[in-house]
Amino acid sequence: MSRDLDIKVHHLTRVEGHGNIVVNMKDGVLEKAHLSIVEPPRFFEAMLKGRSFHEAAIITSRICGICSLGHQLTSLVTTEDALGLEVSEQTVLLRKLLVHGATLQSNILHAYFLAAPDFLNVGSVFPLIATHKDVVLRALRMKRLANDIADIVSGRAVHPITPVPGGFSRIPEKAELLEIKRKLLEEGLPDGLETIETMKALAGAIPQFERETEYVSLKHPDEYALYQGDIFSSDSGAIPVSSYLDVTNEFVVNHSTSKHAKYNRNSYFVGALARWNNNHAQLGEEALAAAEAIGLKPKCFNPYMNTIAQVVEAVHCILDSVRIIDKLIEMGLKNEKPNQTPTRYGRGIGSNEVPRGILFHDYTYDNKGNILQANCVIPTGQNLANIDNDMMKLVPEIVDKSKEEITLNLEMLVRAYDPCISCSVHMLEVDFIE
Amino acid sequence: MAALTVIGVGSRLRGDDAIGPLLIDALSDQTHSQIELVDAGSDALGIIEYFQGRDHVIVVDACQMGRDAGCIEEIDPTQIDLVIKDDPVSLHGLGLAEAIKMAESLQMLPEDLKIIGIEPESIQFNSSLSVPVQRALKKAVKIVHTELNRVKQLAEA
Repeated sequence: MSRDLDIKVHHLTRVEGHGNIVVNMKDGVLEKAHLSIVEPPRFFEAMLKGRSFHEAAIITSRICGICSLGHQLTSLVTTEDALGLEVSEQTVLLRKLLVHGATLQSNILHAYFLAAPDFLNVGSVFPLIATHKDVVLRALRMKRLANDIADIVSGRAVHPITPVPGGFSRIPEKAELLEIKRKLLEEGLPDGLETIETMKALAGAIPQFERETEYVSLKHPDEYALYQGDIFSSDSGAIPVSSYLDVTNEFVVNHSTSKHAKYNRNSYFVGALARWNNNHAQLGEEALAAAEAIGLKPKCFNPYMNTIAQVVEAVHCILDSVRIIDKLIEMGLKNEKPNQTPTRYGRGIGSNEVPRGILFHDYTYDNKGNILQANCVIPTGQNLANIDNDMMKLVPEIVDKSKEEITLNLEMLVRAYDPCISCSVHMLEVDFIE
Repeated sequence: MAALTVIGVGSRLRGDDAIGPLLIDALSDQTHSQIELVDAGSDALGIIEYFQGRDHVIVVDACQMGRDAGCIEEIDPTQIDLVIKDDPVSLHGLGLAEAIKMAESLQMLPEDLKIIGIEPESIQFNSSLSVPVQRALKKAVKIVHTELNRVKQLAEA
């Protein structure tokens, strides 16, 4: 093979020129294949400095409309770790319910609005509205259900207000939770199972590509880890969250303004597929049956299957939400006040699984409860090196295809990871003809 | 039910992009049982839910229109070409234009939908509203009041 290839995909995102795929092959030798991304959440650190522990979670939740809850809850557990604030079992359960809602929403939107158009080769979700209106409506219905969970538990769907350090400023009513349970069972579950059928029908279009890598996620002793746990690597096993810097090992590369990360190898994978590979045995039987039906094997090394792992997780989130609501009601909802009396000041480290993978916040507080220093390591940054390594293996394997097909395969690869790039700016562009 | 729904879109942390949520704040400081206020934050796709069952809706957002900073345009979205990013790499690429187009294709647009677009000066993280956009905020509040009167007159007619 002595092919020359020169692919540059600009404007992968709405942020000016950032997020480019660059592939360079000369005489059949791949010289370059990478993705460069600007990572706006890096500005976290500056925004958090000097803020009080009451403000930190509110600020982080406003960084991004799609990742808001993940940042908020991770900020809360970090602050609680730093200030020695214990939270109740009820708080933990309500937070887990929120995590399920957020994971459901993000996973479903990703599968239907980004991945499905790729599998159907229609370019975007818009042609699907004409041809598969019921499917688009189903996606919006599931988004709505997820928003309803967030509305009732957190006070507001987009930028939650009731989750505060030490607990919740408002506890939902029993009747509200029962209404959510009804919707989860009557609408959510059938929609979730139909989603599995829809994705199964499209799965033939998923590129056959495998690259075994290191998979990093949280691991919890009692459940499929989404809210807290230990860090777990498929290569080296468990390590406490407090040692996260030994895992992330961020480093700078020339082609990206965002740092890359590596642990035991030169890259690792975070996200739904990493969670699946590390923790699938802890899913319930319905989610496992869904995985089997859709062809997701217990160990899966195809990064494009991340989308499939996401829809399996969606089924899990729906059913586990019902379990959590039952438990909350069985325990009896208590109108508890949040515990906001610090027992210490200093450094705290927190981690949760957000839809795109494992997220770390790390704050140091002064003795007035204001942040001296903050560090946040987001999933997309951790995946960048792995995406580059996927590209380096993928391009030679598909080099006989047309340049357009290669480009599409690379874009689909990037989309499979659903990178968080243009967080939070939703500017409308209007061209006036004058 | 409220006569008019006003939805503010944007991030409070990104300078002039905060105009949508800040307009919602400004309106909520006044007494408006006739206006339903929604701070959609930066989840633009979420606004579709607020289109259902409403006749009169205003969406307020920072808009790149090639105008001077602080310039306000009242836009009928069915009468202009929205710049659609039909190849987003991430969910973060689905913004207001995409949400409106999706609602239009699904026949979910409210009968009377208006966008109040405000040209930003800066949308850098961790900055506050620019002076031109601060002025625009006051004008936008007046525009909402004018719209409320128009909607009420329509209802009476």
